[in-house]
Amino acid sequence: MADTPIPLEVRNITKRFGDTEVLKGLSLKAHKGDVITLIGASGSGKSTFLRCMNLLEQPNEGELIVHGESIRFKEAKHGREPADWKQVVNMRAKLSMVFQSFNLWAHMTLLENVIEAPIHVLGKSKREAIDHARELLERVGLGERADYYPAQLSGGQQQRGAIARALAMDPEVMLFDEPTSALDPELVGDVLKVMRDLAEEGRTMIVVTHEMAFARDVSTQVIYLHQGQVEEAGPPDQVLGNPNSERLKQFLAPKH
Amino acid sequence: MIDLHGYGPRLAEGALVTIELAILSLILAIVLGLATASAKMSRNWVLHRLGTLYTTLIRGVPDLVLMMLLFFGGQIGVNMFTDWLYNRFDIDIFININEFVAGVVTIGLIFGAYMGETFRGAFLAVENGQIEAGRAYGMSHWLVFRRIRFPQMMRHALPGLSNNWMVLLKTTALVSVIGLSDMVKVAAEASKATREPFTFMIIVAVIYLLIASVSEWGFARLQKHYDIGYGEAD
Repeated sequence: MADTPIPLEVRNITKRFGDTEVLKGLSLKAHKGDVITLIGASGSGKSTFLRCMNLLEQPNEGELIVHGESIRFKEAKHGREPADWKQVVNMRAKLSMVFQSFNLWAHMTLLENVIEAPIHVLGKSKREAIDHARELLERVGLGERADYYPAQLSGGQQQRGAIARALAMDPEVMLFDEPTSALDPELVGDVLKVMRDLAEEGRTMIVVTHEMAFARDVSTQVIYLHQGQVEEAGPPDQVLGNPNSERLKQFLAPKH
Repeated sequence: MIDLHGYGPRLAEGALVTIELAILSLILAIVLGLATASAKMSRNWVLHRLGTLYTTLIRGVPDLVLMMLLFFGGQIGVNMFTDWLYNRFDIDIFININEFVAGVVTIGLIFGAYMGETFRGAFLAVENGQIEAGRAYGMSHWLVFRRIRFPQMMRHALPGLSNNWMVLLKTTALVSVIGLSDMVKVAAEASKATREPFTFMIIVAVIYLLIASVSEWGFARLQKHYDIGYGEAD
């Protein structure tokens, strides 16, 4: 345990859009097998926080350590930016992201989507990538749909396909950005089931979500964000079952 | 059979000049268009201004005027340069601008500006999430461009591109003013000499139509290729 580096650690991330500070010094440590859920009202900064972890957003301050390697930054005209984009590219290949709007590449079949980055980023052979992809598509229940284009699939199928695409990278950490928010209610279950299976097999996951049942049942840690700060954090039964913060109590109260 | 009064081979040569001119100009225009689109979308304001200046200048001046300006003006510029070389360094060279090269450069330069706008619009039409997914999976800028942005952009660019091509094809007829023997110039000479303008102009019209039809078929196939994965209704 001690000799394997922590998959992902972020320290004191701040992010400003113009004059508004949306993240006010957030930290997080994801050990192997952790499932960390980020909850909070919209505008609390949870998605921005997640997007800072793979540098889709550039944090203004703070440290990012992926598998023991600290990302180097330099000062540039428009603020801080990574000093070495190669390092960022390598880092991103270790953290795969699942988006709210799926973002499967529209001009590729499901199978092509899943093999794209393993071949062109990880340098896998086509044969190997295809075999792995078929296995993964089978796993998420889309074995029959490998040659379909995203537009021919339902939202739930697209999102499960996107999860297969993420798994194909053999990621250290999987980042989920509200993966069920764009789905019709009857399609949410299938996607959550796939995610529960992943958590059970010990995948390290960071999940931004509004699904409280998922957060309660699956996470090892829940972080409640309010206006870019951690309002409360801890194991799910404490944070969700017996919250201290008044705001969190209100947030969790059933809405009528 | 139609009597071409022996102009057949020259007409065929002229047609070949037209096709070569059009294709080479198209290639130049596409390269310039991609560069212009990138410049105009760049965060670098110098590049941005340069791109805007280029498209505004070219699109605001008639093609014929530009062509004469570039060809004759270009020759004067080259002459001034060689004179300067002679006076300053005693180097005596004579450069004559080749009409074909001048034609390709002029038409390429003109249509590069139009292509630039076509490509810019098409690049902006690619959903940001598609690009973000590429970046999130560790793709470099170039890889994202090659595998995602370019193929998705082409789908939006093709209708404009094919339109630009049709106009470009017909614009090649203007090069006869700078003395290049394209098929229009050959046909004009033949009409004058034989006093049978209809014979030759109709032949030229038919050849243009033929090239246009073949390209339309080609563009339709390309569109089908780049439309793959998108529903019929979209």
